[in-house]
Amino acid sequence: MWLPFMGLVIGVIIGLLTDIRIPPEYSNYLSIAILAALDTLFGGIRAQLQNIYDEKVFVSGFFFNILLAASLAFLGVHLGVDLYLAAVFAFGVRLFQNIAVIRRILLTKWTSNGEK
Amino acid sequence: MVGTQKHFYFTVTASIVGFMVAIQFQTVSEPVNRDTRDTWELRNDLMSEKEIQSDLLQEIRTIEDKLTKYENDREQSKGELLKETLEEFKIEAGMTDVTGPGIILTLQPLVNELGQEAPTSYVSPSLLQRLLNELNMYGALHISIDGQRVINTSVIRDIGTVTKIDGHSLNKLPFEIKVITKDSEEAEKLLKRIEISPIVGDFFIDNLQVTLAQPEEDIVIPGYQDTIRIRYMEPVE
Repeated sequence: MWLPFMGLVIGVIIGLLTDIRIPPEYSNYLSIAILAALDTLFGGIRAQLQNIYDEKVFVSGFFFNILLAASLAFLGVHLGVDLYLAAVFAFGVRLFQNIAVIRRILLTKWTSNGEK
Repeated sequence: MVGTQKHFYFTVTASIVGFMVAIQFQTVSEPVNRDTRDTWELRNDLMSEKEIQSDLLQEIRTIEDKLTKYENDREQSKGELLKETLEEFKIEAGMTDVTGPGIILTLQPLVNELGQEAPTSYVSPSLLQRLLNELNMYGALHISIDGQRVINTSVIRDIGTVTKIDGHSLNKLPFEIKVITKDSEEAEKLLKRIEISPIVGDFFIDNLQVTLAQPEEDIVIPGYQDTIRIRYMEPVE
């Protein structure tokens, strides 16, 4: 379980080292994409803990959610409606739900380990 | 570790997410460019923008007038209006003679206290260009140097050892620089500005004397005689 966490840290370090920046106009899209990616990540962790992890679902969901969130934001900018809010709400709610499920599973695992 | 294959994709995805977070963090934490102009600079900028706006409005008005004129006179005299417009463009390009109020500057060799003339009769092109810039800055509309009209594509440069403007050599002092302004008031203002400008001192250093006459009502400036080369010109998009 520590390997994905290491992956996260390595990604952050590489990003900070290479000092890549994107034009500030696109930072909105990137933030939405990050939210979608985080939600997918935690969804994958939850699936792994519930033993229903399917790698194809995970990887396809990752890229698809990112694309969907970015296109929703893009469409919203051009229609003049804040459609990115829809993505924020949806992914935010799912993020909290996934984290809650993860927390519940981990707690039951530790308490059951403790009882053994 | 069981299922390292699964964990591999997961790790790659996690690192991608970390990468995106780092990019976003660096992009957002760039210092915002603040507008540090103070009140007076803002006023100046506002003033120049207002001038630009009034100029543009005037241009719009004249062009719209011309448009209505074209539409009204479309049946009669098709060629007449086009000829009129051609004449207007010729005047604007500087190919016709112009008469109007303005001033005349005479460039002479410097006469020192003993009454002797300085030996050099060379006018440097950069000095002349600076004089032109000053005149244009203070309201000159049409300028001619030694009978040669100065237009948008005129060049003053050193060819051989002689200063030439558009092929016309300026090697015989004294010669006249004629300037036409919008009206007599502008001519007065231009004269006063040139009088107090440091450009006269720069000519003095080069052993040249700039004599400024009082503004006159009817100064005649000849048109540009040579052909204007447009081979490398393109219309602006």
